[in-house]
Amino acid sequence: MKPVFMTRKILVNRIDFLMRVMVLCLLVFFMPSRAEGAPQDSSQNITKIAQAPSLDALPSDDITRNALTEWDKLYSVFSHPRCASCHVGDDNRPRWMGTDYGLDPGEAQFHGMNVNGGMSRIGAETLPCMTCHQEENSDILNGPPGAHVWALAPVEMEWFDKSSAYICAQIKDPARNGGRSLEAVSDHINNDDLVHWGWSPGPGRTPAPFGRKETVDIFNAWIAQGAPCPDGS
Amino acid sequence: MELSVNGQGYTLDVEDDMPLLWVLRDELKIKGPKYGCGIAQCGACTVHVDGMAVRSCSIRVKSVKGAQITTIEGLGSPKALHAVQAAWIEKQVAQCGYCQAGHIMAASAFLDMNPDPTDADIDQALSANLCRCGTYPRIRAAVHLAASKLREG
Repeated sequence: MKPVFMTRKILVNRIDFLMRVMVLCLLVFFMPSRAEGAPQDSSQNITKIAQAPSLDALPSDDITRNALTEWDKLYSVFSHPRCASCHVGDDNRPRWMGTDYGLDPGEAQFHGMNVNGGMSRIGAETLPCMTCHQEENSDILNGPPGAHVWALAPVEMEWFDKSSAYICAQIKDPARNGGRSLEAVSDHINNDDLVHWGWSPGPGRTPAPFGRKETVDIFNAWIAQGAPCPDGS
Repeated sequence: MELSVNGQGYTLDVEDDMPLLWVLRDELKIKGPKYGCGIAQCGACTVHVDGMAVRSCSIRVKSVKGAQITTIEGLGSPKALHAVQAAWIEKQVAQCGYCQAGHIMAASAFLDMNPDPTDADIDQALSANLCRCGTYPRIRAAVHLAASKLREG
């Protein structure tokens, strides 16, 4: 009996230890790229987590703060021109944004040629998106980008010119995220070709930050820490 | 590679990544589709791929294997013009004519989707087809005329 008991105890201790190491690794892995914008006491947070007897013992405000740091990274992806330019509202008009289009950072204009995706969001009413946007990026500078499917995101998934709090609430709302759980949203980021285009946008376009795998990892870390949203509307 | 253009089958020895426009003009000697910008911004190269208007300068030939490709030469015939072609003549749209094949192909595909368009619909559908001569008022009139002819059957 004793060896079995000892084995279980060792196992429990190892699981607890591994859990804390995992959390520590996640923080160490993700925090450096945001070092300038990270909370001033981030190193203290890591120390607290490493020394805590279990995850349950961590102060909830520390977890929330760390999770919001993860969310800030996600917002930098979702609000990036490669993503937000086609996550437009009910004017159905994609945008051209930023320095890649000769504009100031953050500045936007309507997609050229009077393009309008229509209610169909694929241009079926007038000019289909895929008249110009084929299955692959053009390899010519200023040629049309492409992916297996080319379409505006559903109108309820509006990101263009929206705040961090608004997009966060939308991502979590099944009525506005395609009926998805957060795990399904993570899967969507991991497996959807058109989402992946944002990190491989072809010549002359700046990719969205982080890359697919890292964004999925950040998203999953945000979920694991309760998926909090920033305050605001 | 097997390709179907204007109802005729072709066997070609070309690179998969060659733009369709190159195949049409240089390999098959079908000269209706025009080279304008090469980056899908002018519409002069427009053809139909399974009925949808597509910029042939920017679609790789490997993407149209098995599809029915139609150029201006296959839209109608001299003895049986397509309604859009007939309207283009009736309204004397062309000035230099370089853009007209692309415009007619874009307009005919558009009318398949929207048989009774407004001026705004036409402007939106054809804004990505450029005419350096500025014949847009006549283009719009011809599209309305073709639409009415098509609705009459």
